[in-house]
Amino acid sequence: MKKTIFLFAAVTVLLSACTTTDPIAKSVAYKGMYNEKPLTILLMPPINKSTNVEAKEYFHSTLNIPIANAGFYVIPTFLSMEMLKRESAYDAELFLNSPITKFGEVFGADLALFTIIHKWDKSGIAAKVYVEVEYIIFSTKTNEIVYTRRGDVIYDASVSTGAGGIAGLVADIALSAINTAVTKYVDVARACNAYTFKDLPAGKYSPRYMMDGSEISGKKIFRATLNKNYR
Amino acid sequence: MRKIIFLSLVFLFFASCTTQKPLYNWDKYEITSYNYLKNNDEKSAQELIVTYQKIIEKQNGTRKVVPPGIYADYGFLLLQANKTEEGKAMLLKEISLYPESKIFIDRILKMMEK
Repeated sequence: MKKTIFLFAAVTVLLSACTTTDPIAKSVAYKGMYNEKPLTILLMPPINKSTNVEAKEYFHSTLNIPIANAGFYVIPTFLSMEMLKRESAYDAELFLNSPITKFGEVFGADLALFTIIHKWDKSGIAAKVYVEVEYIIFSTKTNEIVYTRRGDVIYDASVSTGAGGIAGLVADIALSAINTAVTKYVDVARACNAYTFKDLPAGKYSPRYMMDGSEISGKKIFRATLNKNYR
Repeated sequence: MRKIIFLSLVFLFFASCTTQKPLYNWDKYEITSYNYLKNNDEKSAQELIVTYQKIIEKQNGTRKVVPPGIYADYGFLLLQANKTEEGKAMLLKEISLYPESKIFIDRILKMMEK
């Protein structure tokens, strides 16, 4: 009996970790990506609707790694930012509902990524950050959305000192607070981006290019609890 | 028996969910690029330059080549520091490694001539 329960629980954990309730193959969920075979992607400066002014930079500096690692050519971040500023196109919100064909011409971008930070709240004592973030990738050829996900993320920045008892608990809270205050916010954005783009179809530079279409896609709207160990 | 079940499940779990070795190495790219983005001062620029140099020197990801955009953004920082020739050379390296960057980089080179 015990064994059966254990097995059942383990299988549940296994399944909940990897699948969605309503499985859709990546080739269906991200059809445009498989049809158009895009290579280059322009990162638009994130649109920050949260109350934390710095959230924009946290996201901006951590977007290109997961996308490049998925096999895409990410248009050079700082160089493209400079160009967008010069062309008075730094406010990405202006382009969210208009054709973006021009970005294809100017940057040679097949895709353009818009990131919208809806919420960024922190709770000091629990060392948690609550983030709501939406990602939309448009094709510059069709102006259609080819990839979009929206996440409700709890980032747990708590660190354990390893000491037990009340003293240990106090030490843990203090350490977590320091940990939160310094560099961890960059990591919050990094973890959100890594989680979201784990589902990207493999790009041309990936050994899995065009071989992942039958994989099950992740949820379009997801909830996740992440921490610094999430890669 | 239980141990076997457990071990096989653990194996399955990792087999189905883990990531492969990444395509590229990025050194301290995230934090140094954040600092530059945020502060845009000499210190943060210098730290980002060091990161770029390390990324260019050491690549043992699966592709073993410099990641997209690194030569170009490194070149951009050199241009900002008035190291025009070095900067230009880096932009050209980006094009030779990633020909798909030509449309954009050529535009930048043309803008510089003006």
